[in-house]
Amino acid sequence: MTPSAYTPAPGRRFGVGDRVRVKAAHPPGHRRTPAYIRGKVGAIERVCGMFPNPEELAYGFDGEPKHVLYRVRFSQTEVWAQYEGKADDCIELEVYEHWLEPA
Amino acid sequence: MNRNPADIGGEDAGRIDTVDHGMKFWEKQANALRGTLVGRKVVRLDELRRSAEELGSRYYELAYFERTTEALRNLLLEKGLLTEAELQGKMAEVRGRYDA
Amino acid sequence: MSHDHRHPRDQDEGPPCEHEIMSRAMQELLEEKGFLSAEEVRRRMELFEQEYPQRGSRVIAHAWADPPFRKRLLEDGKAACAEWGLDLEADRLIAVENTPQVHNVVVCTLCSCYPRALLGMPPTWYKSENYRRRVVREPRAVLKEFGTVLPENVAIRVHDSNADMRYVVVPMRPAGTGGWSEEQLAKIITRDALVGVTLPKVS
Repeated sequence: MTPSAYTPAPGRRFGVGDRVRVKAAHPPGHRRTPAYIRGKVGAIERVCGMFPNPEELAYGFDGEPKHVLYRVRFSQTEVWAQYEGKADDCIELEVYEHWLEPA
Repeated sequence: MNRNPADIGGEDAGRIDTVDHGMKFWEKQANALRGTLVGRKVVRLDELRRSAEELGSRYYELAYFERTTEALRNLLLEKGLLTEAELQGKMAEVRGRYDA
Repeated sequence: MSHDHRHPRDQDEGPPCEHEIMSRAMQELLEEKGFLSAEEVRRRMELFEQEYPQRGSRVIAHAWADPPFRKRLLEDGKAACAEWGLDLEADRLIAVENTPQVHNVVVCTLCSCYPRALLGMPPTWYKSENYRRRVVREPRAVLKEFGTVLPENVAIRVHDSNADMRYVVVPMRPAGTGGWSEEQLAKIITRDALVGVTLPKVS
């Protein structure tokens, strides 16, 4: 089987195009959801697959069960209060499903 | 709020030094050491990142490979793969090799 | 200064700093305890020096020359490279294409995630705090510091490689390169263009 960048995510909650909000949570410890994107609303750009949870791996746990990882697209004017670029500039990053809510 | 020192996207900052200054020999070796340990599953990349984040304000005082080296040290000590005494001893031995 | 064949260093670099001593000490202890060998570390250094840095420009040159490969690369970067015979090891590669409407630029704000098996080591500026802080919020100003000014109508898309995926930019093929071999094309595809801070130029 050819290697792929992606892995299957059959039980995923969201699909491409769905509008989602990143939780405005600030838990301590190792997180891969940058502070600048928390609380922001974007749209699912692609489904990356299922991967062990880095928040657990960081402390020596096996990160199971795997969590679904998405790429989410945000408008820059949504992310930054005084964004100085163009209205159609955007930023895309990877967000784990447990950090997302429907918007 | 005790923010992760690595979580800096969007902060104000000055000019970027756009020149690639490359790596010293020891930095290339440190990079390869890190990659070899991760490849052999002695440590996880996520653990190394978390260890770097736990450096707190020291994170900003260290250059990139100084940071990754201290993060690795702290993680190896945490996991009991090395002891402080062993490390100090070996560092003294290595230091001695380079003294004139 | 005693010369240790198993653990070389560049004499030009002056006396070792404390962190070099720390790093060497850790490596030697781990070797003694059987966690790894000096040879494995050396081989990895060679890969980073000789193999990985050559790959990115070759892959993108092939994408420019071969439309079906380009399409496949954009669908699944890792699979396309594997099918072409290039093993990207752990890198889950996503290729993002520049178009007349959109310019892409890549960063890892949280650390220094980068497609190392495709491009080698990231440049010092990519790992710098100032790049990580600023490019997500003011990409045009950052690009300007690299000497890159985009046309007015082009939107910028920033990619923060904050989790499991790794990114490479597929720049637009410049005018004046018609009929070029892949080798000639690869020569103008710089590492900085593959991260998105510059554009390939025909000199």
